[in-house]
Amino acid sequence: MIKLRMTHWGSLLVCLLLFLCGHGQEQVRSIHGTVRGATDRIALSGATVALAGHREIATSTDATGNFSLKIPAGKVEGAIRLVISSIGYQTLEVVLEPHQTELSISLETGTAAMNEVVVTALGINREKKALGYAVTTVKGDEFTQARENNLANALSGKVAGVNAAGLSTGPGGSSRVTIRGNGTLGSDNQPLYVVNGMPIDNSVPGGAPTANGITNNVDRGDGIAGINPDDIESISVLKGGTAAALYGSRASNGVILITTKKGRVQKGIGVEYNSTATLENVAVTPDFQYTYGQGLDGVESTDLNSAQASGRKSWGAPIDGNSNYVAVDGQHHPYTAKKRNLQNFYQTGSTFTNSVALSGGNEKATYRLSAADLKSNGILQNTSYDRKTLNLALNGRLTDKLSIDALAQYNLETGHDRTGAGDALGNPNWTPLEIANTADVRWLKPGYDSNGNEQIWNDASIASNGYFVINKYQENDTKNRFIGQASVAFEPVSNLVFKGTISEDHYNYNYYNILPTGTLYEPNGQYTGLKTDVSETNGLVTASYKTSLTRDLGFSALAGGNTRKYAENRLTLNGLNFTIPYFYSFSNLGSSSTVPYSPRIGTNSIFGSVDLDYKSLLFITISGREDWFSTLSPQNNHIFYPSVGGSFILSDAVRLPEFINYAKLRGSWAQVGGGAPDPYQINLTYSNVASSGPTLQNVTGDANTGANTISNPNLKPYTSTTYEGGFEAEFLNSRLGLDVTYYNRQTTNDIVNTAVSTTSGYGNVILNIGELRNSGIEALLTGKPVRTKNFGWNVSYNVAYNANKVVELAPGLPSIQIANSVGNWAYLDQIVGRPFGTLVGTRMTRDPKTGLVVFNRVTHTPVMTTATQILGNSVAPYTMGLTNDFRYKRFTLSILLDGKFGNKIFSIFELYATRMGKLKSTLPGRVGGLELKGVDQKGAAYDTVITQTGGVLRNYYDNYKTYSELFLHDGSFVKLRQVIFSYQIPAAALKGLKIQSANISFVARNLLILYRQTKNFDPEQSFTNSNAQGFESIGLPRTRTYGLNLSLKL
Amino acid sequence: MMKRKYLYNTTVCLLVVTGFFSCDKGYKELNVNPDAVITPTPAYVFTLAEYDGAGYNGGAYGTSAADFLLGTMQYTTSYNDVAGFGSKYISSQVTQSEASFSAAYPDEINELGIVIKTVKTDPSKVNLLAEARIWRVYCFMRLTDLYGDIPYSQAGLGYDSSVYKPVYDPQQTIYTNLLSELDAAAQSLDASKATFGSSDLIYGGNTAQWMKFAYSLMLRLGMRLTKVDIASAQTWVTKAIAGGVITQDADIAKMSYIATGQNINKNPLVLDLWNNDYIAQNGNTNTEGGKYADTWISYLQSTNDPRLGVLSVVWVNGVPDTVASIQKGMPQNIPNAKPANFVTYSEPNPSTVLLMGSPKLLFTVAESDFLMAEAALRGWYSGASAASLYQAGIEAAMRQWTIIAGSAGTIAPTEIAAYVGNNPLNTSGSFNQQMAQIYTQFWVSIFPDAQEVYNNYRRTGYPALVPNNYPTNATGGQIFRRCLYPISEQNLNAVNYSAAVSRQGPDDLMTRIWWDKQ
Repeated sequence: MIKLRMTHWGSLLVCLLLFLCGHGQEQVRSIHGTVRGATDRIALSGATVALAGHREIATSTDATGNFSLKIPAGKVEGAIRLVISSIGYQTLEVVLEPHQTELSISLETGTAAMNEVVVTALGINREKKALGYAVTTVKGDEFTQARENNLANALSGKVAGVNAAGLSTGPGGSSRVTIRGNGTLGSDNQPLYVVNGMPIDNSVPGGAPTANGITNNVDRGDGIAGINPDDIESISVLKGGTAAALYGSRASNGVILITTKKGRVQKGIGVEYNSTATLENVAVTPDFQYTYGQGLDGVESTDLNSAQASGRKSWGAPIDGNSNYVAVDGQHHPYTAKKRNLQNFYQTGSTFTNSVALSGGNEKATYRLSAADLKSNGILQNTSYDRKTLNLALNGRLTDKLSIDALAQYNLETGHDRTGAGDALGNPNWTPLEIANTADVRWLKPGYDSNGNEQIWNDASIASNGYFVINKYQENDTKNRFIGQASVAFEPVSNLVFKGTISEDHYNYNYYNILPTGTLYEPNGQYTGLKTDVSETNGLVTASYKTSLTRDLGFSALAGGNTRKYAENRLTLNGLNFTIPYFYSFSNLGSSSTVPYSPRIGTNSIFGSVDLDYKSLLFITISGREDWFSTLSPQNNHIFYPSVGGSFILSDAVRLPEFINYAKLRGSWAQVGGGAPDPYQINLTYSNVASSGPTLQNVTGDANTGANTISNPNLKPYTSTTYEGGFEAEFLNSRLGLDVTYYNRQTTNDIVNTAVSTTSGYGNVILNIGELRNSGIEALLTGKPVRTKNFGWNVSYNVAYNANKVVELAPGLPSIQIANSVGNWAYLDQIVGRPFGTLVGTRMTRDPKTGLVVFNRVTHTPVMTTATQILGNSVAPYTMGLTNDFRYKRFTLSILLDGKFGNKIFSIFELYATRMGKLKSTLPGRVGGLELKGVDQKGAAYDTVITQTGGVLRNYYDNYKTYSELFLHDGSFVKLRQVIFSYQIPAAALKGLKIQSANISFVARNLLILYRQTKNFDPEQSFTNSNAQGFESIGLPRTRTYGLNLSLKL
Repeated sequence: MMKRKYLYNTTVCLLVVTGFFSCDKGYKELNVNPDAVITPTPAYVFTLAEYDGAGYNGGAYGTSAADFLLGTMQYTTSYNDVAGFGSKYISSQVTQSEASFSAAYPDEINELGIVIKTVKTDPSKVNLLAEARIWRVYCFMRLTDLYGDIPYSQAGLGYDSSVYKPVYDPQQTIYTNLLSELDAAAQSLDASKATFGSSDLIYGGNTAQWMKFAYSLMLRLGMRLTKVDIASAQTWVTKAIAGGVITQDADIAKMSYIATGQNINKNPLVLDLWNNDYIAQNGNTNTEGGKYADTWISYLQSTNDPRLGVLSVVWVNGVPDTVASIQKGMPQNIPNAKPANFVTYSEPNPSTVLLMGSPKLLFTVAESDFLMAEAALRGWYSGASAASLYQAGIEAAMRQWTIIAGSAGTIAPTEIAAYVGNNPLNTSGSFNQQMAQIYTQFWVSIFPDAQEVYNNYRRTGYPALVPNNYPTNATGGQIFRRCLYPISEQNLNAVNYSAAVSRQGPDDLMTRIWWDKQ
């Protein structure tokens, strides 16, 4: 048997060499040239130059826009015709003069799909028409005008089947992107992010916030947040397993391929400058009641004690402007409604982004160096996020046969006072939302007394004074990140390319969070710190070969291997009780502990693929890959998976009616295997527990949640199988385009970390169970209704429906739990027969015969059902986006609407606002009492009036928290997501300034919510990028952003 | 010819691709956590189980039963509704009663399972096994007494037997098993074999004392059965006393703690009280509005109890004052607003009750004495009279504050003698009158172990507390009879939860558990 090891790349290459031994062809004519954009004269890299009628004779332009095409003898009789195509440009066909060997080509912008070239797996450029699966490409400049701090958020609404949502966690927050639904029960379900063919890390240091976390529960930002949009040439979204088969397991949730900009050949130095300034404001104000003010049981607060007891409670007297009212500042105020507490508590946030890029080069080498600075001040005072990015791309063609590419990116990200979500302690958002409605939130300023201790503002010290949190809590984090890539490509004979690439994404992260001395709930303070080094390293070698087997049959093949290493060195620092008050150092703690966690993951892979092209009419791709996972049982740690796909250009094969100018059918089938996302889940281990006395030992808890988890010695790979079919068509001279896809994706043997009853002795268990299915339809409709010299109108509408179903869990296991809310008021479960992420909770019990509410005669409250009632789906099955682009002379206007439909949200803020008497739903019964009518637990009629006396009515409403159904809302929405209004300054006006082009734009994001069912909050109010969606949990309010963008080219 | 070569090469590559070679060298080692061990050390796990079982409650303070039952037994109260569940039984706060259940299983129950599994097959570790079994009885008893039917036989088997949804066993079955476990474990102790030594924070591994602890727990459990199975109660109580219970101060079962450092090393009840209320130490800004309750202070005053000056202070001008005459308990019906005279109410004495490094007494001489007094009263025990045991109990209880707090807790022998002289057991009274005296004194003496007082209150009806009929209470103005199962059990263990509820009665505060039959 052949015994190879992954380190023995040489052997593999020999094998590939044998396999791909070339058959050289006599070269008679060599044609050189450059390809540029017609309007901006930018050199186009990756443009395809092909011999008409012989698509197998083709090349693509390098980073400088140059190409060289060798045309064998006997291929062409008569004039040579070349077809030149590039992403986003109209394809051009040129006829060469008899002896012409050099040419300069200008491509007009356009979007005709038929000859588009797209970036696919491993960074390979392929003609879109040859693909058997759906792929969508978005150009980089779509992200540079109306910016999101986190690039991934900007995908929202742009690509059919991509569900992207920003979180309400402040300026440095994470994103959550899912493609074609949640494909696994256990992993985070987010796509793999790939830069120039190599994966990058997208982890959140120390893990994502949880639904019920406290104090330290902040979103520390994910990996994709570190990418500067100015450096992006294009983004390709590979949606299906087929598209992603070459990336292996982590691609089973789709791949987002980012191609960065490179330098180009030009005289002198090209300079690009881009500047954006935006402001942001709270977008939604809750619809509170302003009939009854601060107080309890119908009585307003008239002294400091009663004000402190009712600081969060609007159960007082009718708001009549009387002057007896005393608030928690101890002062008399008119008893009037304060309707602008949110606006007064939150400020106008601002973000300034400046980036400059220098580029240039000659035939041998090109470079591009960019520097960018993003400064963001959140809507919460003192909250800021700063990101500096330095990016250097070097590309060299050392000889005809040898070229190198290198990319180095350095990021420095600093976050300050990131805002917590979830439970009350240290979450400043509770204050403006829960404060009594006659109190002005600014009366709580500065939140601390002369000693610096938190000032009381309500009856529960766990509900922090928001100003104290703003002014005294401390959170700081710094992330130093380096992304490096280097590759060497060797082309010994034409079209045979060996390529080796090594990449590392490394970051060093330092975080601390201070709960200060003088906090009412924990007067001596707390310290939490996280220091971690994370690296994702990949080594990749490939060999590819491209040839024609016959005149009609093109052939290309690729084989390679990849080795991936993930390593983290984490120290978690926890401490209690600052010995010297108000002095915040890890050295000054009454007790402290330092806990190391050092996960290591390896995945080795080999893969190969073959592409066949028959007359440019029929394309077939076959691939196979084998992965070995370090995180699985040594007995069962590898899996082979194949894929096959094809496309057929119907419009070239048969004569279609005149109005159809392009039609393509495609289909594919693919499997992807995957390992466990975390290491050390095979064996139960034991760790020491922090102790100041005797040695203590327990089961090693989960590094992020602390939960004891039952390990699984038999973990084996899971499998995700996708098939998809679709067609693309263009009509009426490409004025109308349609792209429709149906897909089905099934995940089996899923690896799931699920909550179990704590009576098992453990909080969680790792299971290799279950089957999950996603199937859906995606459609993209594009149109160019108006296309004149001065006025143009393009419209693009994408819509997707994804049906998700948990087909099976383990035998005898009908459901598993993903998350629980603060106070266990609702749960998120996976339930057999239901879609991924079902919200579960309680309802009021109703008499089965009459439908009347069943009351408990002792407590005068509706009887709660068990907490097993299905409330709804947390994930929207329908998503859509509508883009309208208008151009009038030098003005362009781009409007993006997007929407999601069919999901439910459980609102923890509303639950608390109900308890506090702030919602209109708590008004009935304040005068004359509330009649409770129904039946009692024995079925007899029940009819009682409860009043405010003794707090009975207040507690009745307080008890509403035990009925989850009352705080459930439809999460559907339509938003005016993005508006860009640009003016291109005429070149004549810039003549003296040596500026080639200049563009100024008004930009806005999340400007309006056109439709929603949640009257008190923005339906996109998530606070974690984990699977725990479907909870609104008192995070920062969502904002609308607007500002100006200026872009210059020198 | 070219074609054939392709075919050959394709085959070679397919062989490679389909995995005829290993690409996982070093992966087995890579997947080993460098910061953890594969084999547990039973002594270290046992120490943790002692901390957890003695009430550390996973570090989540504020809602442990040990804490809120102080309110229910009317030692403490709070003006604040949120913190007032214990003394006010407020319906909106009933979920606080779930906390002990949630914490116990992943902590002490699972830890003891690990210890027992590790030592049970090694004859030289018989004492380790026995001590773990006895401690396990203590832990399960605390749980079942709060909730009734609970997962027992299948509890903590998530890893060993893949039981993720344990059944709930009837309390009667649990009690039967706990008692026979005590019997078997006590008899298996062997002074000639190895012990946990200093890893045992209760007895330092002393097997004779563990045996006394086992029989004392048997006394406690046996007496628990008086309402439901009087014959068994007598059998077990008799057996326990014959086996030898804790009657000397030196044998008191107590956990030792450290005043500074990690929370886990501190007295958990003190930590709870401290963090919940008394951390500011000014008598005024008590975090959750807590104070001693009027019932408690009034009773100590009415009996001239010398413990009042040891246990209670009033903050006067920023200084804690123990003068008996100024002590005053806070009313238990204050409607959720801080009273203007809040600072004038009594609260726990920081130099006795609130010592973070003080031992927590798990089973005292006083408890043995009072339980044996009842046994004597019932005619099950004749080694001493009920009256003398009653007196011995009071004396032991007064001495034990020296054990807890040293000189600050010391009550002079003359004061003790005066008190017992003024408060003899009324041997001419009826059985119920004597029971009332014994268990009212039990209430005073076992403080601050409110949980054990609550158990005997439910069993005997004494002390005759007047329930707090606070508006919006969840019980119709009655002291609740049990705690609620965690809501999470409805989601994660629905079938077994439902079976327990249909057997025991609604998952409700007023449902009586098996030994508490009406």
